[in-house]
Amino acid sequence: MRIVIAEDTVLLREGLAGLLEDAGHEVVARVGDAEALLVVVAEHEPDLAVVDVRMPPDYDHEGMRAAADIRRDYPQTAVLVLSQHVETRYALELVATGGGFGYLLKERVLDVDDFLDAARRVCDGGSALDPEVVATLLAPQSHEDALRELTPREHEVLALMAEGRTNAAIAKRLWLTERTVETHVRSILGKLGLPTSGDDHRRVLAVLTYLRASPA
Amino acid sequence: MGGVRMVPRLAACGLALAALILIVGGVVFDRIAAAKDVPGSGAWWLYPFLLAAVLAPAVVGVLIAVQRPANPIGWILVLGALSLAAVLGAQPYAWAALEAHPGSLSGGSWAALVSSLWPVFFAWPLAIAFVFPDGRLPSRRWRPYALFAAFSITLLVILLVLSARLESPFEDVANPIPARWPDAVGFLRGPVWLAVFASLFVGVAAARSRYRSSEGIERLQMLWLAWAALLIPLGVVCFLAWGFVLGKPGDTVLAVMLATQAAVALAVGVAVTRYRLYDIDRLINRTLVYSAVTASLGLLFAAVSLLAGVVVGHGSTWVAAFAAVLATCAFGPLRRRAQAAVDWRFDRPRYDGLQRVRAFVDDVREGRGEPEGVGAVLAAALRDPSAELLFRLPASEAYADAVSGVVGDPPVDGRAVTQVEHRGREIALLLHAPALLDRPDLLRSVLTEASLAIEIARLRVEVRIQLAEVEESRSRVVQAGYEERRRLERDLHDGAQQRLVTLGIVLRRLQLSLPREAQILKPALNSAVDEVGHAIEDLRTIAAGVRPPRLDEGLAAALADLARAAPVPVEFEATHERLPPQVEAAAYFVACEAVTNAVKHASPSRVRIEAEVVDGALRLVVVDDGIGGATVAGGTGLIGLTDRVEAQGGTLLVYSPPGVGTRLEAEIPCGS
Repeated sequence: MRIVIAEDTVLLREGLAGLLEDAGHEVVARVGDAEALLVVVAEHEPDLAVVDVRMPPDYDHEGMRAAADIRRDYPQTAVLVLSQHVETRYALELVATGGGFGYLLKERVLDVDDFLDAARRVCDGGSALDPEVVATLLAPQSHEDALRELTPREHEVLALMAEGRTNAAIAKRLWLTERTVETHVRSILGKLGLPTSGDDHRRVLAVLTYLRASPA
Repeated sequence: MGGVRMVPRLAACGLALAALILIVGGVVFDRIAAAKDVPGSGAWWLYPFLLAAVLAPAVVGVLIAVQRPANPIGWILVLGALSLAAVLGAQPYAWAALEAHPGSLSGGSWAALVSSLWPVFFAWPLAIAFVFPDGRLPSRRWRPYALFAAFSITLLVILLVLSARLESPFEDVANPIPARWPDAVGFLRGPVWLAVFASLFVGVAAARSRYRSSEGIERLQMLWLAWAALLIPLGVVCFLAWGFVLGKPGDTVLAVMLATQAAVALAVGVAVTRYRLYDIDRLINRTLVYSAVTASLGLLFAAVSLLAGVVVGHGSTWVAAFAAVLATCAFGPLRRRAQAAVDWRFDRPRYDGLQRVRAFVDDVREGRGEPEGVGAVLAAALRDPSAELLFRLPASEAYADAVSGVVGDPPVDGRAVTQVEHRGREIALLLHAPALLDRPDLLRSVLTEASLAIEIARLRVEVRIQLAEVEESRSRVVQAGYEERRRLERDLHDGAQQRLVTLGIVLRRLQLSLPREAQILKPALNSAVDEVGHAIEDLRTIAAGVRPPRLDEGLAAALADLARAAPVPVEFEATHERLPPQVEAAAYFVACEAVTNAVKHASPSRVRIEAEVVDGALRLVVVDDGIGGATVAGGTGLIGLTDRVEAQGGTLLVYSPPGVGTRLEAEIPCGS
């Protein structure tokens, strides 16, 4: 993959680049702010942009706004936003508007395989949503919440689904067979009143749209 | 022109000098008579009175006549001095010529005749009463009265001059004038005396009529004259009192009469030239009050002595002591009564004003009125709608009104400014109509009466302003606290946490790049990275405790995290409306601490949080089903919540009956 990195902390930026290069990817540009990010994306049209959520000059969601711009203007470039803390507002909006977007806490980088898998997923037009964000979404809000009707296992499956993982990945995680996972998924979608669909990505979008509709 | 001005000056000085020579000569002849032990002469102490009675009108008369020759006042005074000197100087000369050295001094009987003309003492004050202060009669209407007065005094003098017997003490001296009234008109003497007394009253009436229609300076001038006139009845009272005590008036009465003459002259002088010299309203008021008090005490003393004397027997010192004690006790109440009576009769505005202020002070004392109303009461008491009271704030050296708080510079606006003092400290400024400056006594007595109420109101206003400042400062402190939390949270996330992540990456890359022969280090590096991960998690928990980042997404988002992280089931229902950040922060921390409290002290099975906007205020309710019994004072952190809520101008209520659970209600205004 051809990757650009936007991160204002130099050491962290270099570390990330090294990590990605070690994995065999090509880091074509490294920048420290959102403005420069848009310039290098226009120049290199990379497969993926890894973006820090807070960057100069105001340290206030510049990364998130740049991500939205990139997704709109350069559909071939996927974006993976790295954040210091959980926030759902922008993340959900971006993930739910289509694939090719991911939102992870920075420390997920330390689980290198998982991080690279998320990067790969996003590049393929899928999505990646941090488990912490998913957890805030899956917290039941009221008595009538349909989420309450899910079994604990279904809850686990839904969480992994919302993170953007495929049935195969879910099965691997939970030590289940893919068929069992498929059964759970059908049951979950039925309980939430969502249409069943074979496509993993569209399934994720439907789940996130459902979760976003319930206030959090 | 200079010559024209010189003539009256020389004339006035000449007349005054003549008066001086006459009275000094009188004193000299009195010494001569005293050397021969003539009865009725040689009283040293009387000389100052003699000299004062002549000198006062002479000097004042010259001063006025020189400055304003066209005004007859000066001339009346100078001529009055001359007539006084003539009458007073003639008596010792008569004694010297007739008794001490008979034969060697001529004209003794003529001097006795002049000495008999003492009723001229009344002439010049009467003239002053008619034409003071501008030298003209109050109106044409008074012309016949003035003529009547002049005629009656003249007639009396003629009667005295042509009478067969001279006045006391020269009853035995033969009148040197040969002409006599026929005996048939002897009966006229009585009516003429009556006419003279009547003229005195007419003179008083003229002055009174002038006072009624006067204002400003003329009013002050008339008041000075009135004060002097007041001394005349006082003199009469003394006359009667001495007659009662000693059986005969003696020289003392003469001294009082002379002092009165001097006082009238001095009062006229002050009135014409220096009418603002002293607070005349106050002087008159006090003179009246203390005369009344003295007279009443005297009567009381006499009555008690008389009654007790009848009961106990005459001459007992106990009677006198008892009467004295009684009089002493009666002094205070009597003085108050007399003051009120004098005010009521002679100074209605002052009386009414003081009554109003006293009623107000009573109302304040009984809790029926607010002390802050003192400004309006003063305006009413002084009959000045423009009056405005500004309280002094000593801490800031500024002034404040009762309604809107601190004012910058006092808005004078053409009004006069009077300082109000209480126990020697300035406590307020009164802005009022400049006309009130003509009534300094009214102003001062009303302000003195109200000063305690003003001080109380001032203290209340001061406290209220200070409280507002403290509330504002508390709000700033809390606000600064929120901002500090936000900064700290940022520092943790963007500083320490970033470094830990960087460290983790470095370790991870190190681990991945280990050569085959160093693979033994892999597990150690793995657990090191895990530790870094835990450290980051801890850090995030700490940062969220400082300030949950999700407050940026609104109260509902932050409460959702709070509910998720709580160790007991927490239900919540929160508005999705965005509110001012400090309101959201306050509500979040209140909810957070309420939940923490409940978990720590009340062991509830569940907690419910509601946050909704009602009438422009955020209403936050946190209810648990724990053991209850929480109090704000109980050291459970509720006092901190109260501070937080009140700093935003809100209120916090806690209902926590034991065994039922705790319900906490906070209301925080959203507008700012």
